[in-house]
Amino acid sequence: MKKERSRAGDHLKTEQLEVLALERGRQLPSGAVAHLQECASCGRELGELRRLHSALALLAALGPAAGFTDRVMARVRLPLPLRVRILEVVRAHRLAAAAALAGVIGATAGSLVMQAQYPDLTPMALAVFLLNRSMALMWSGVMAVGRLLYDSGLAAGVEGLIQQLTIGGALLLLATLSLVGLGALRILMRLMDHSTEAARQAVGR
Amino acid sequence: MTYRESSDQDLVRLSLRGDERAARELVERFQRPVFSLVYRMVRDRELAEDLSQEVFVRTFNNLERYDRSYKFSSWLFKIAYNLTVDHLRRRELQTISVHGSPDAVTADRQEATSVTLESAGERPDEVLEARELAGHMEEAIAVLRPEYRTAILLRHVEGYAYEEIAEVMGIPLGTVKTYIFRARRELRDSLEYVRDELPEG
Repeated sequence: MKKERSRAGDHLKTEQLEVLALERGRQLPSGAVAHLQECASCGRELGELRRLHSALALLAALGPAAGFTDRVMARVRLPLPLRVRILEVVRAHRLAAAAALAGVIGATAGSLVMQAQYPDLTPMALAVFLLNRSMALMWSGVMAVGRLLYDSGLAAGVEGLIQQLTIGGALLLLATLSLVGLGALRILMRLMDHSTEAARQAVGR
Repeated sequence: MTYRESSDQDLVRLSLRGDERAARELVERFQRPVFSLVYRMVRDRELAEDLSQEVFVRTFNNLERYDRSYKFSSWLFKIAYNLTVDHLRRRELQTISVHGSPDAVTADRQEATSVTLESAGERPDEVLEARELAGHMEEAIAVLRPEYRTAILLRHVEGYAYEEIAEVMGIPLGTVKTYIFRARRELRDSLEYVRDELPEG
């Protein structure tokens, strides 16, 4: 029902009356307050809203049975804390972790020996030296594998194969390599899932 | 700062790091409003407990998808509303009684599914009167359409703004206003016979 303008000015909007009914003590513009004192229609509507709101407030006290939080938490799977994840990865891959730890210990010991032999060596210079050494070692490995392939004639075979490869053959090769790559990725993801699941079981979630 | 004093957003951030106590505090904080809303939609205490549990489990198991530009409670109520409406659609549950589930066929089952209404009054006659009124109100709320029921409860019981209700229910602002207007009109009509007993506010 549309309200008409009263002698005391414009009627209050439903939203304004609602604010007054829901939020006691909320200030309205002085014009609106004056209107409310004069206008029986708005006063009645405000009274109805307050009555309804008070009656609805009687409904506000329902709660679930005791132990609700425990029942929820028993089913919740929160992300695992970083500490637990790291510990579990270490537990799941003991050998790799032991190798990494041995590497760290070896590198630390080597650094200490170097530091003792060359006291003027700064940590940065030592880091650069170690990096160079490890790069050289890696490069030697790559060269050795290359030499082995060359000597075995496998490289010449692959080169001949590539030269004779048609477009269809190339696409087939590409597709096969992609499938192999995807398969490897899938296996890797499975391993990661397994680690996460094992971690959840370890912390009882 | 203790967990109880932390904001919802802080508790969400801690929960995302796997802090179980933060998640527990969020459940404690919101179990009553969520349960109230769900219960008033389905009118069956056991079912409301199951659905409320599911709401929290889904909320936490999908916490990484929560957009922090919204209030956590809005997101929670949105999940509660969608889950309950889906359930009502599947079951086509029509509810009219505060005395237990409409599916309850025995007195024991009715007792198990009903809910005790609380009141703020202190004197025995006030308690009785408030309980009676709450019962009338529950009856009146129960015959509203589920959309009207949700909108009016979020507005008057939870104190949500119209925009937040629109967000929770996934409907336009104008539709929320219409729902609340109609819900109020229907409640007034339903409660006309106890109008004089309603508190002045």
